[in-house]
Amino acid sequence: MKREGFGWKIARNLFLLAGLGLILVPLYLVVINSFKTLEEAGRNFFSFPSSLNFVNFQSLFSNSNYWGFAVNSLIISVISVSLILILVPAVSYAIARNYTKRYYKGIYFYLLMGLFIPSQVIMLPVTKLMTNLNLLNRQGLILLYAAFSLTQGVFLFVNYIRGLPYEIEESAYMDGCNVFQTYTKVVIPLVKPMIATLIIMDLLWIWNDFMLPLLILNRSQENWTLPLFQYNFKTEYSFDYTMAFTAYLMSMLPMLIVYCFRTKTYY
Amino acid sequence: MKKISGRAIYFSFTIVPVILYSFFYVYSVISGVRYSFTDWDGMSPEFNLIGFKNYEALFKNPNFWNSLKTTVLYSIMLVVGVIVLSLLLAVSLNSLRKFRTFMKSVFFVPAMIGGITIALIWDQLFYRVVPLIGKALGIDWLSQSVLMTGNTALLAVIFVHIWQAVALPTVIFIAGLQQIPDEQYESAKIDGATVFERFRYITFPYLIPTLTVNLVLMVKQGFTSFDFPFALTGGGPVRATEVIGILIYNDAFKKYEVFSSKCRSLCIVCYCSCFFIDTDEIDK
Repeated sequence: MKREGFGWKIARNLFLLAGLGLILVPLYLVVINSFKTLEEAGRNFFSFPSSLNFVNFQSLFSNSNYWGFAVNSLIISVISVSLILILVPAVSYAIARNYTKRYYKGIYFYLLMGLFIPSQVIMLPVTKLMTNLNLLNRQGLILLYAAFSLTQGVFLFVNYIRGLPYEIEESAYMDGCNVFQTYTKVVIPLVKPMIATLIIMDLLWIWNDFMLPLLILNRSQENWTLPLFQYNFKTEYSFDYTMAFTAYLMSMLPMLIVYCFRTKTYY
Repeated sequence: MKKISGRAIYFSFTIVPVILYSFFYVYSVISGVRYSFTDWDGMSPEFNLIGFKNYEALFKNPNFWNSLKTTVLYSIMLVVGVIVLSLLLAVSLNSLRKFRTFMKSVFFVPAMIGGITIALIWDQLFYRVVPLIGKALGIDWLSQSVLMTGNTALLAVIFVHIWQAVALPTVIFIAGLQQIPDEQYESAKIDGATVFERFRYITFPYLIPTLTVNLVLMVKQGFTSFDFPFALTGGGPVRATEVIGILIYNDAFKKYEVFSSKCRSLCIVCYCSCFFIDTDEIDK
């Protein structure tokens, strides 16, 4: 029996090490090669750079509008997520506390309908709609994110709020709060863990999203977000792949930094 | 005037979300369905109703069947790969004593990086690193760029997708594993159950609800995949990686064949609604 346990341990550790390598080696290659010149990378792709040189970073920052795109990404992510945080908990609360009424139940299933409609289906009509409305810009994209996030957000929140004990809210009413005060002072603090989940989920999605910006923002370069910038970098600078690696590194770094400073939400 | 009734406040909470959702989401879906019955080309202001002709043309189009086949194949491989790997990873990580937090954090890193970044990084690696490894090991199909030949290109795209997608199901599985009471394992150990028996008769039954969640998640991801094939191959070589998302994009935005592409979108609606019905039953 003991030998069996030992064998399993070895197999497990080998498996985990292989996985670790498969994740870390590509990232390692990106980081070290972004510090090399093309010539040096050509000599040896896998070795550590002989000296730290920031030429790639300098030319990335000076030749391209990297900071402009980063700011675009930041503005779009922050405003969209704020808007989502105002809308989703409120509508979910209204639905969860009036679940027996036909209107609210109807809204709930109306919003859930979108769960399994893939984004490609609306690719064209959305582009057409936004062109007609003259919204092929950041404002339009933010509105789209707010609208598209409702499905999943409401699905998560309604179930969570329905699980909360109603007695706490009842006592707030007894003390003279109206529905709005109860919502802001009692319910919001209770759903904080869910709000954290929603922020992370939507922030990751919006920051890394490629398809909607491709459809909405691709017309003028000044509106680009980081994913669009990277994709176009591939065609523009394919001859200098160390530069490309630098651009990729600089695009994933913000999220990785956020991840390092995260509170214990995932584990 | 002082008192605002509760019902009015509840109602006001729903107004803005419902308008936004109806206007941008539902309207788009419905107008997509409407366009599929017209001969609209996406540009001209006028178009006529032509009934089911688009659908006839679509079902006769070999490219549509090819991409449907590719999408199904892609989804199956993605789902199987991700579920098996994430289950193994979750069980392994959960039984670790040392470095557990560290390992968990590292294995979650790919989920933090966007699909397009990962696809572009692997694109470079497939061109520059993988052939070197293939040559060193003497493996023939690895020594040229795997994105250039049909079969290997599809496998390469799926590999990259799995590389990123494994993280989240692993987290969900670990959360499921932590709900299993320790006593069960202890008594099984005393009775002399092996590692595999313990997994088969204790761990696995407990994980079935989590398994359905992950399955639904991955099926959805597989059928709607766009970023990875778009950035890695753009649908090539010779349509080997042209999943439905790519087909729609290329037809609509490169060739302006809007009307036929709308039908394809509608087909996605159909098969996705099948999954919706399925998951509804699983929940109950």
